[in-house]
Amino acid sequence: MPPSTVSPSDEAPLRVLIIDEDLERAKLVKEGLLDDAVVQMATQMHGRGLLDLISNWHPDVIIMECNSPDRDTIESLRQVAQTNPKPIVMFVEKDGRGFMQDAIEAGVSAYVIDGLTPSRVRPLIDTAIARFKHIDGLKAELRQTKEDLAARKVIERAKGLLMERQGIKEAEAFRTMRDMSQRQGKPLKDIAENIISVLDMLETRSAPETKE
Amino acid sequence: MSRPEITIGFVRLSDAAPLAAAVKHRTFDKYELNIALKRFSSWASMRDALGTGAITAAHMLAPMVVASAAHLGPFPGQFTTGFIFNLNGNAITVSTALFDEIQSHAPGHMQTLPMTASGVKTISGARREKGLPPLVFAHVFPHSMHAYELRYWLGAAGIDPEKDVQLVVIPPSQMVNALTRGEIDGYCVGEPWNCVAVTSGVGKTLITSSEIWSNSPEKALAVRTEWAKQNHDTHIVLISALIEAAAWVDQPDNRLQAAKLVASPDMIDVPLEDVLGSLTGSNRQTGGRLRIDIPDFNVFHRYAANFPWHSHAKWILSQMIRWGDAPMNMDVDKVSVAAFRPDIYREAAHGLGIACPNTNEKREGSHSHAWLMTDATKPIAFGPDRFIDGRIFDPNEVLEYVKGFQIRYAGSTRLGDSDRLQAVTRA
Repeated sequence: MPPSTVSPSDEAPLRVLIIDEDLERAKLVKEGLLDDAVVQMATQMHGRGLLDLISNWHPDVIIMECNSPDRDTIESLRQVAQTNPKPIVMFVEKDGRGFMQDAIEAGVSAYVIDGLTPSRVRPLIDTAIARFKHIDGLKAELRQTKEDLAARKVIERAKGLLMERQGIKEAEAFRTMRDMSQRQGKPLKDIAENIISVLDMLETRSAPETKE
Repeated sequence: MSRPEITIGFVRLSDAAPLAAAVKHRTFDKYELNIALKRFSSWASMRDALGTGAITAAHMLAPMVVASAAHLGPFPGQFTTGFIFNLNGNAITVSTALFDEIQSHAPGHMQTLPMTASGVKTISGARREKGLPPLVFAHVFPHSMHAYELRYWLGAAGIDPEKDVQLVVIPPSQMVNALTRGEIDGYCVGEPWNCVAVTSGVGKTLITSSEIWSNSPEKALAVRTEWAKQNHDTHIVLISALIEAAAWVDQPDNRLQAAKLVASPDMIDVPLEDVLGSLTGSNRQTGGRLRIDIPDFNVFHRYAANFPWHSHAKWILSQMIRWGDAPMNMDVDKVSVAAFRPDIYREAAHGLGIACPNTNEKREGSHSHAWLMTDATKPIAFGPDRFIDGRIFDPNEVLEYVKGFQIRYAGSTRLGDSDRLQAVTRA
């Protein structure tokens, strides 16, 4: 794992928020992080206090016990798109059947610390963050692909409308749109959307007249 | 015939009473089921346990099942339900301080029942003018009836829950503490957490969920869709046992006994008096001052309560769309059919000779009083299904219904990238 994937920037130390009622265990996690991380512990903090702390302190990663009652509060963060998603590392008591591993595969943003020892903390967190970024990257890629596909559909439709209404060939319709795009400095998709809405509007306006 | 062990997850709430009753009365044994109960302290961890197979079934928030069927959040398309545990059961409680403020500044808003949020609107507006921070209300999970009931109540009084107040998620058992410490001004939660606040003098219950939308679905028996497919017979038997347990709990004469069972240390572990008001519905606070009997505060079996209505799933979807939790072009027909399985419920109910509706949808909100459903295998008595603002929900016009609300999410959706990409939408 190259170190550059580990912390958000090479200069800034990792900001780690540990949410745990068990102070001893929280200390154990902190011990494993020492030198290269800034650690904040939330042991008696719930709900609004916890949310305020996260929005003010901006942790890079949140570590919590998997059956903590505060999980639902943290879960509500992922609901809000404007809040940057954070990797969440959850530690569980020994889980022989590996169920939590499955949970992570299923998209729960988390990693497991199984059998907690300080020396294992940092590598697991690094892996969790790297994995989180990887999944995030995949999602962005998928989004781009979907958006490209949607754009192509709109452009095709606008082209078809132009050909039909203006009685022009496909190449000419496309050239018209491309020229508009360059002149107005707008993406081809926006031009296509404008054409569709204008032509649709003209159609609805002229519809009653054609009926008469 | 011995069956493999089935673990059912639950969270510390009094409407888990049918589970406690089924264990106590050996109902599961009677149906040759080998059941273990497992307690969770958060909805998310129980959801993860169900999704990964650590447990087989869960006493889950009905909207969590709908969210999964809609491919929102983790475990997309993986949960379904053929059994609703109960109707109603939640309430909105505010701090005594906020109640006093409403009483002194907006006494006129406290005259009628059910109590609207117009008093809260007055206080919230006055705070904004004085430059004070907004009122904070808590609920238990983003995909929950609590969230949608709270938002509905606020919205019906002209309060925009996104702009005029702040909403936060707090685990049920932490609600009373947060109210005591002044971190929040009010909340919508299940029992015993309203009764506890009222009894200890920390809060006042303003309205119950049965007054916001009468006989609304609450918890569902969530299972993995794949499990339901591969274990159809076991699923039917499990639902049959739960119907029997729910019917027992629903009898008014059994409610005290049910309260004792669910209050026990291995279930929700609270004093009996904290769950009594929830299960008997007697001497309950509403309107902040009154004490009245609300026999339908929790409905476990009557009114075909255990039937998973597609119209209920669709109403939940309508609110997801309304508040930006789901996209406008969500395929509500497809999602409601995947989430709620009346066909599975019918099979179990037929085996027990219990009457079932012949339809899967009804116009919600069109009955302000008790009524008789004749379009059923035998006529079924139903309670009212009215909304506090008198609106009618036509399950065939979900989008029109959403657009009819003046107060709704201003953008198209606030979903994160992954949810937006995987949501079940119309082509």
